[in-house]
Amino acid sequence: MSLLSSADSSAALESDSQSQRAWILTKHLLLFFVLMTLWEVGSRAGWIDPLLFPAPWGIVKQIGLMYYVNGNVYYHFYKTFIEAMAGLGLGVFIGVGLATAAALSLRFREYIKPYIIVIEATPRIAVGPLFIAWLGFGLSSKVALAALVCFFGPFVNTLTGLLNVDDEAEEMFRSMRSTKWQTFWGLRVPNSATILMAGMKLGVSSAFGGALVAEFISANEGMGVLMSRYTYVLNMNGAFATLLSITFFAFLLFKVADVIDYYLVFWRSDKLMQAKSKKRKDAFFKSLAAA
Amino acid sequence: MTSITSITTSTTSTTSTTSTEPAIGPAELADKGFKRLAMHVLIFVIIIGAWELAGVFNQLNDLLLPAPSKIIVKFIDLWFISQRIWWHFFVTMYEATAGFFIGVGIGMSLAISAVVSPVFRRYISPYAIAFNVTPGIAVTPLIIAWFGFGWSSKIAQATLVCFFAPFINTLTGLLYTDEDATELFRSMRANKKQYFWKLQFPSALPLIIAGFKIALTGALIGAVVAEFFSASEGIGILMQRTSFKLDIAGSIATLISMSLMGLLFFSLMEVLDYKVLYWKRDSRMQQISKKRKAAWNM
Amino acid sequence: MAAVAQAVASSNKPQASFGDVVIQANNLTKAFSETVVALENASFTVKKGSFVSLVGPSGCGKSTLLRLVAGLIPKTSGSLTVHGKEVTEPRGDTGMMFQRPILLEWRTSVENVLLPSELTGRVTNEDKRRAMGFLDLVGLKDFEFTFPRQLSGGMQQRVALARLLQTGADILLLDEPFGALDEFTRERLNLELLRIIAQFSSTTLFVTHNIAEAIFLADQVHVMTPRPGRLAKIIDVPFTRPREISLQVTPEFNELVAEVREVLGGDH
Repeated sequence: MSLLSSADSSAALESDSQSQRAWILTKHLLLFFVLMTLWEVGSRAGWIDPLLFPAPWGIVKQIGLMYYVNGNVYYHFYKTFIEAMAGLGLGVFIGVGLATAAALSLRFREYIKPYIIVIEATPRIAVGPLFIAWLGFGLSSKVALAALVCFFGPFVNTLTGLLNVDDEAEEMFRSMRSTKWQTFWGLRVPNSATILMAGMKLGVSSAFGGALVAEFISANEGMGVLMSRYTYVLNMNGAFATLLSITFFAFLLFKVADVIDYYLVFWRSDKLMQAKSKKRKDAFFKSLAAA
Repeated sequence: MTSITSITTSTTSTTSTTSTEPAIGPAELADKGFKRLAMHVLIFVIIIGAWELAGVFNQLNDLLLPAPSKIIVKFIDLWFISQRIWWHFFVTMYEATAGFFIGVGIGMSLAISAVVSPVFRRYISPYAIAFNVTPGIAVTPLIIAWFGFGWSSKIAQATLVCFFAPFINTLTGLLYTDEDATELFRSMRANKKQYFWKLQFPSALPLIIAGFKIALTGALIGAVVAEFFSASEGIGILMQRTSFKLDIAGSIATLISMSLMGLLFFSLMEVLDYKVLYWKRDSRMQQISKKRKAAWNM
Repeated sequence: MAAVAQAVASSNKPQASFGDVVIQANNLTKAFSETVVALENASFTVKKGSFVSLVGPSGCGKSTLLRLVAGLIPKTSGSLTVHGKEVTEPRGDTGMMFQRPILLEWRTSVENVLLPSELTGRVTNEDKRRAMGFLDLVGLKDFEFTFPRQLSGGMQQRVALARLLQTGADILLLDEPFGALDEFTRERLNLELLRIIAQFSSTTLFVTHNIAEAIFLADQVHVMTPRPGRLAKIIDVPFTRPREISLQVTPEFNELVAEVREVLGGDH
């Protein structure tokens, strides 16, 4: 089976795959539409309890209300965004920092190993109430929880990336009498780029989740608060609308991370490599001319 | 999905030493291990000692960081004297475990369906992606609204948070079976059932077990978060109560208890890994070799 | 050892007598698409007990030809029969060995060797005896219960060879089986392969890109050229068996090497 696919000449199939993709997209949209219609009909006919699953149309109306009429959702978005991003930043800083220290020093790595195992096993989100007791109901407790929850992904991935360099590549650096720092910046860091970005992406969703939980426990503003308030008064339309917003938001964040990943780790894409080649070539000759 | 690489990465042991040391004999190894353990214990004792000392000299604010002795007192009280924590511990463990099994069941069933039917796979993939991106935690209020304040909402939340990893890992593991091995099986005219049980499933086991590990962690988180929201029993609510009462020592003691639960789960998963994935460890391979040789009868 | 060999040999059901045609191809063609023609109009016959090498650079269709005979891929046009029957799917009278050993990591050597028996029905004590015998034959006595990870590359390929013998197929299809190993191991395994094949009078198709190896092992060398994949020439190798490594430095041998090179147009 694999033999067949590997021998296919891609050129002949280019036009095919484009129309194929359009058709697949249409099928997906069709299925979605059918599901929504069933849901709507089921709701109106009373088969589906409106307390459990509000009708799609109601949700749509609510979204219109939230986004266009009231517009208060933007502020809550903003609040949660700040919390998540600050938490992510802090978490990445801690995670990458610890990982770097651990990668550079075998001793340090040995020392922190048991603590890391314990931290990994503990549901870090449980620290939420404690953070609130320490840092109050404001922004800082949310940021702290988000940071605690999300630092692990970047930490593990950075450490793995920094340590797992090709043996022979490391030998090559050593044979040219490179210092530890030179090897670190010239080899280890670029080598770990891919896995580091994967860790970051993990961190994005964790930080977001951490911020939301912190809001659940105690907050006045933010998406999590919106969610819990709507649910509390059993405004299911609102709750679902908020949930969709959260999903959309998370998706957006993820895509942003993807884009950053794409541009940062440029050697995975032919197009980017070509552009970089040209830029470096120009810079090179310019520096020669200047000298 | 790039999350796959990060999933499998984050479950491998955290610190891997690139050792360039020469081979050492077993006696020296044991000695080294002992020395290492002693060092860890020593460092721990020093930290705790310094901390306690700060408390003795009234350098500590009880509302921020109570002295270790106070925490230990609370811990002993929780576990042995008033024994309040046992029931809460049990409740949360039960919720997490139930959520784990249900989540794994759902996740693996969906994965197997997706493997068996490419049509199904194609249609659920956009929903799977959307699901992956949403923090499962966001749904907590809804889950509580649907399932009420009892245990079922915690179990439901745990299930929700933890079902994705087994799903994606089982799917990936089964789907990306070694192509050459598949061809080998075809050349030996294996039927679908033989192909699944003798090749697809065993080769997917490492990923499947990795998925289990993530799921268990997730289930615990899901249960605890749901408890935060509204519960009368469970370690999560105990955590919330002690924190809001500003009983920081008690809160930390509860947190430590929670770590213990996490470690318990972690150990269980490690045991599972050790037993099932025998072909990844030299010592286990030797064990199994002996067993199979002894069991061989013609 | 002789008793084992006998028990083992007697279980290979004789399909034809020595000298009969077992593989026949006429204008065999395989095209993966309009522009990608992997093999074009190959015609040849293979007699029972003969060793045929398929040699040529990448893209010449040698692996494709092997897979066609194995029944793993369908032909586009022409005819291909094995033991007089059209090849449409994998069959019991042909067995394949790949460049990678492809052993199942979670099974011991003997369990890997028993895989073919498992797949065709219940495993009998006779099957088990045969498996142990084959492992002994390939020089892996005392390694029956080790796991693939504990074996070297060469040893793993030996297990793969034992597994191939276990299938009981009388036509062996080998796709560069020792290509991933170092020269010394490869040489040793080639000699062992010849020894084993002589014992069972198996018909063998052997794919390689190494000209000397192709000539040294075979009775017939099928020289193949790429773009599109074609069977350019069939060269008979007259040397008697058993063959010594020293044969490779004789002038007669090198004449054949030159002949093959000429066909390949000197770009090998």
